[in-house]
Amino acid sequence: MTLLARGQREPRMLALTAALGAIWVGFAIATDGVFTSPRNLYNLAVQSSVVGVMACGMVLVITARHIDLAVGSVLGFTGMLVAVAQTEWLSVEAAASWPLATALGLGVGALVGAWQGWWVAYRGVPAFVVTLGGLLVFRGAAYLVTDGRTVAPLAVGFERLGGGLSGSIGAPASFSVAAVVLAVVALQTVRRRRERAQHGIASEPAWRDVAVLVVSAVCVLGFVAVMNAHEQPVTGEPRGIPVPVLVWIATAIGMSALFRRTRFGRYVSAIGGNPEAAALAGIDVRRVTLGVFAWMGALAALGGVITTARLGAGANSMGTLAELSVIAAAVIGGTSLAGGRGSIPGAVVGALIMQSLENGMLLLGVSSAARQIAIGLVLIAAVWLDASTHARVGKA
Amino acid sequence: MSAPRWPRWFVACAGVTLALARASSAHAAADVVVGVSWSNFQEERWKTDEAALRAGLEALGARYVSTDAQSSSEKQASDIETLLARGADVLVVVAQDADTLRPTVRGALAEGVPVVAYDRLIELPGVFYLSFDNVEVGRQEARAIEHVRPAGRYVFIKGAATDPNADFVHRGQLEVLAPAIAAGRIEVVGDQYVEGWLPEVAQRVMEQILTQNGDRVDAVVCSNDGMAGGVLAALRAQGLEGLPLSGQDGDRAALARVARGLQTVSVWKDARALGARAAEIATALARGAAPGSIAGALRWRSGPDKPELDALLLAPVPITRDRLGEVIDAGWIAKADVCRGAAEPALARAEPALAVAEPALEKAEPALEKAKPALEKAKPAVARAEPALERGTVSARGATDLPPACR
Repeated sequence: MTLLARGQREPRMLALTAALGAIWVGFAIATDGVFTSPRNLYNLAVQSSVVGVMACGMVLVITARHIDLAVGSVLGFTGMLVAVAQTEWLSVEAAASWPLATALGLGVGALVGAWQGWWVAYRGVPAFVVTLGGLLVFRGAAYLVTDGRTVAPLAVGFERLGGGLSGSIGAPASFSVAAVVLAVVALQTVRRRRERAQHGIASEPAWRDVAVLVVSAVCVLGFVAVMNAHEQPVTGEPRGIPVPVLVWIATAIGMSALFRRTRFGRYVSAIGGNPEAAALAGIDVRRVTLGVFAWMGALAALGGVITTARLGAGANSMGTLAELSVIAAAVIGGTSLAGGRGSIPGAVVGALIMQSLENGMLLLGVSSAARQIAIGLVLIAAVWLDASTHARVGKA
Repeated sequence: MSAPRWPRWFVACAGVTLALARASSAHAAADVVVGVSWSNFQEERWKTDEAALRAGLEALGARYVSTDAQSSSEKQASDIETLLARGADVLVVVAQDADTLRPTVRGALAEGVPVVAYDRLIELPGVFYLSFDNVEVGRQEARAIEHVRPAGRYVFIKGAATDPNADFVHRGQLEVLAPAIAAGRIEVVGDQYVEGWLPEVAQRVMEQILTQNGDRVDAVVCSNDGMAGGVLAALRAQGLEGLPLSGQDGDRAALARVARGLQTVSVWKDARALGARAAEIATALARGAAPGSIAGALRWRSGPDKPELDALLLAPVPITRDRLGEVIDAGWIAKADVCRGAAEPALARAEPALAVAEPALEKAEPALEKAKPALEKAKPAVARAEPALERGTVSARGATDLPPACR
């Protein structure tokens, strides 16, 4: 389950993590350690969370041989809805207003996604065209929600979702989360060994599993320790894991399970591999396609919720050009644009790589034009590297 | 095979179009026809501009015909030709892309139709340029910030690098601050363009600048209100809200921030004044007035290509806490929208202080009750309570200190 355990089986994952590590070391040296300070790693985690959450959905979409260009616009539209719903349709002071508004946003996001999926699956319009239309439609709709007016301030409880001053869970809860995650990983390892033994299949050597567990524990606890090392400005209390990052982790684990462990997820891979064969095998390709887009819409809305909470305001321009970062994160993470092959942990690392470049270059005071050039080149290089290793593996 | 038939909806549409065309040509009584080519209606402000321009033309007895280019420069070129064909005596153009419009505008001028470049510059000799002074916007932002923080570590958050307005505004900011920067009173510790003027990008940029400087930032000269919202979110995450912060546009959210003391200034460009002046100028030019005879007009040559144009540049208004009354009086925003929660920041400061004071007092009371021997024990608790109580009282007093417009 953990990145590391998978890294052993997938060389790509190991290469990606190595690339991320190289970027971090490079920036740490160039910025005299500011880049790897707890505070900046906290920033980096929060800044990556929006694109990271959406990239988990994009993996499914691209694996099923489609594309969603509307995610940035859907983010803007649902974000505006969430902002307006809690401040103007409901009372900001009421405790239930922001959870209701959030639920409404996620629901509308799923509906919007399903609507686009319906055009693709049941009306046979190419996803590129449907979502290109959606990009325009929902950017316009985001504007119309308030006629372009920015909505602020938002409910105090809602802003916790953005990871700001009160937007993290503190040290004890962070360690609890780490403990739960590690316990689940350990239990799964034990179960896997037992099942293999029952079926008479040889397990990996015990020392290897133990080593993987130890390294996982070091990574998870290290992450929590870094988040705790970043302190609140006045009180000096440890911040702990930021709420949006917790949302991102939960999304990645959930979507990964959906993708790898459920029938729906395997159908998505099957359709992406060969749609005709999948249909002949009795898979309801259209329903699965609609489902994929509905998930993407809901995750775009989740991105909208985090963006809105982070800004403490709803602005109609939110999410402009986000689709490009989201697609880039998925593709850097090894999701093939030809379909059939995708990796959610890869997309998570892809999002971190993209945001690390942006974050580090900003620390160095690099101009926006130079940043764009560098990130564009890295995107091309990453996919070229992936394609060339993939070709080699294919030949072997 | 049946004969081809037009679909019913097509016939209906065609009928409506014909009827509309006839209706619009029916009242051609006015002596002047003013053709207005809008670039788009995507931003809230253009509706305000249009209403002011129409009202002005109506009052002057001129007729208003308009087109909407929907953000397409190709469509705008054909729009302008359409307006000329419809008999426009003068054109008011909000250019989507000034460079691609040049041949079309040159054609109009050659036909003897005066052209007013509205809000956005068209660099062609003979064009009348009417806009707010964007350099002045930058000057006013910088002046307001320098007024509250004359020295310290400054950050510049500029607009999109692709938008010339971003540079006009920044030029004005530097004009005001250059002496202080040269004298070393002001140190620039961050200076970045923000793609597309996007608030969430401004937030990330500000987060990184704060990290890089370990929070040692004293003021943020930010070019517009949307980005100021993102900057403020970044400041708030470090407990730094209340730092001097500028913006422009007079956004409602920004004016509410000004009332709460979270933003120093929002430079306001009254679109209605611009629309009203455009109506006057267009009508006068169509009736044969010389461009130089327009009140307040000047010969202007600060554009990128430096052609000399007749121009009228309106001065924007810097809305600070003390001048909020002006936007309310102008009907730009309702008083309730500005003042909602204006007392909150002071109250919020008061609350934690009072929260500290109360339990301390509570602890003190039972000790006092235990009479004289216990009094010794009570004294330190009382002493601890006192300063917190004082802070609470002072902050609570601050809560009643509303901006003048909200009293």
